[in-house]
Amino acid sequence: MRRFLLFAVLFSLALGSAAVSADKVLPAPSEKEKCAVCGMFVSKYPAWACRILFRDGSTAWFDGPKDLFTYYLDIKKYAPSRTRTDVKFLLVKDYYSTAFIDAEKAFYVVGSDVTGPMGSELIPFAKAADAKAFMKEHKGQKVLRAREVNPDALKALR
Amino acid sequence: MLDFALSSLLRRKGKNLSLVAVYTLIVFSVASLLFFVQAMKRESALILEGAPGLVVQRMVAGRHDPIPLEYAGTIAGIRGVAEARPRLWGYYYEPVVGANYTILAEYDGTGAQGVVLGNGVARTRRLAVGDLVTFRTYRNESLVLPVREILPQESELAAADLVVLSEADFRTLFDFPSGRATDLAVSVPNPREIPVVAGKIAALYPDTRPITKREMLRTYDAVFDWRGGMMVVMLAGALLAFVVFAWDKATGMSAGERLEIGILKSVGWETSDVLLLKFWEGAAVSLAAFLAGVLLAYAHVFLLSAPLFEQALKGWSVLYPRFRPVPAVDGYQLAIIFFLTVAPYTVATIVPCWRAATIDPDAAMRS
Repeated sequence: MRRFLLFAVLFSLALGSAAVSADKVLPAPSEKEKCAVCGMFVSKYPAWACRILFRDGSTAWFDGPKDLFTYYLDIKKYAPSRTRTDVKFLLVKDYYSTAFIDAEKAFYVVGSDVTGPMGSELIPFAKAADAKAFMKEHKGQKVLRAREVNPDALKALR
Repeated sequence: MLDFALSSLLRRKGKNLSLVAVYTLIVFSVASLLFFVQAMKRESALILEGAPGLVVQRMVAGRHDPIPLEYAGTIAGIRGVAEARPRLWGYYYEPVVGANYTILAEYDGTGAQGVVLGNGVARTRRLAVGDLVTFRTYRNESLVLPVREILPQESELAAADLVVLSEADFRTLFDFPSGRATDLAVSVPNPREIPVVAGKIAALYPDTRPITKREMLRTYDAVFDWRGGMMVVMLAGALLAFVVFAWDKATGMSAGERLEIGILKSVGWETSDVLLLKFWEGAAVSLAAFLAGVLLAYAHVFLLSAPLFEQALKGWSVLYPRFRPVPAVDGYQLAIIFFLTVAPYTVATIVPCWRAATIDPDAAMRS
């Protein structure tokens, strides 16, 4: 019982350190934001939230990198009024730090034992070393770069 | 029909009033208990929400021991760990007021001098900002420190017994070995990685024990459930007595009531009409008791801080006289109370009426 009081205080002292800087710049998804591909609520899975930032300032949210790429690779189907040139940034969350990173520079592990809200996922990492280490620990099959993520690779995850 | 039901209730004022009173009392105890346990659980969950995902303690012969600071560097290097922060904290027994203080060091703090006191500490020792406070160190020397700040009243529950010292003062007070900390708070941004990190720490340092936040939450939930269960056992006797009482009052139809039903039927009422009437009577009694009981329980728990079973459920040290639960009641709890009390009573009144209402009115009036 006494220990639990202590946590309250330790918590208040610890608050500042845990926040990731990227999350301060980019707002978290609001509660009613839905994945543009599967329609699931994004805010329920904060560690998986991904987004496409368009040049006009609007955002499309996704509940995992798999859905982000599904959308991006077939943007005509999901957003007929837009093209790939309208996209400013593709952002996914690094698995270890849960901070937003550039999806086009990220490393993705497929075939691991970690599943997202939509099942098998591309697990994103900012660093190649992190991706390799994750692959070993979580029985991943291989590491993909963003340009290797094509419709066939996505199909294999379904 | 409702009118008739109410006036019929009023005709037997004594019986029904006593019924409502006892009924209210039962709803009140059950509701108070549920509200209180729920409030405690939520309070602990709120507090623990900010706790680190993982706490690492060092064990020596199965007992908690100070952890070497080098461990923090290695653990911070594990993939998935954002930070491994050493913490210094402990308990200090104050013989003057017979209370235990929670002592916390401002690790690598701003270098500010003096102590920060929790509201409870300041109140019981009548200290104000600027006063000097004396602690007896583990080397039996006096440590005299000025009071820098007193925490505001709002943080009463969380920090009533708190004393915050600088790191140097903490080490002097407890003669705490340098290069050691009480434990490590490890923050892991991705909660899914916590078990993996905990496994790695345990493999890396077999002399440590990683405790995950989920385990802490479970423990506190279990503690409150257990205490709540204790109260339920005590209440069970009362509940049982009520059930017997209600059954007796509600099912045992007096000859007068039987006669009344007979008359109603003979003047042309259908069986369904009689049942509806009795249903309204039962509903009026139980709803009135339910509302009164819940309102009383709400006042008892959230306005008066549950004086009746504070002792049984909290059992905290002398410094926590003023725990005030945050009022919050959800539909789920209300539904539980409703179905535990109102529903059985209503059913219990309907059955005998149905039996009485189906018999021949002539026979009913004659008997």
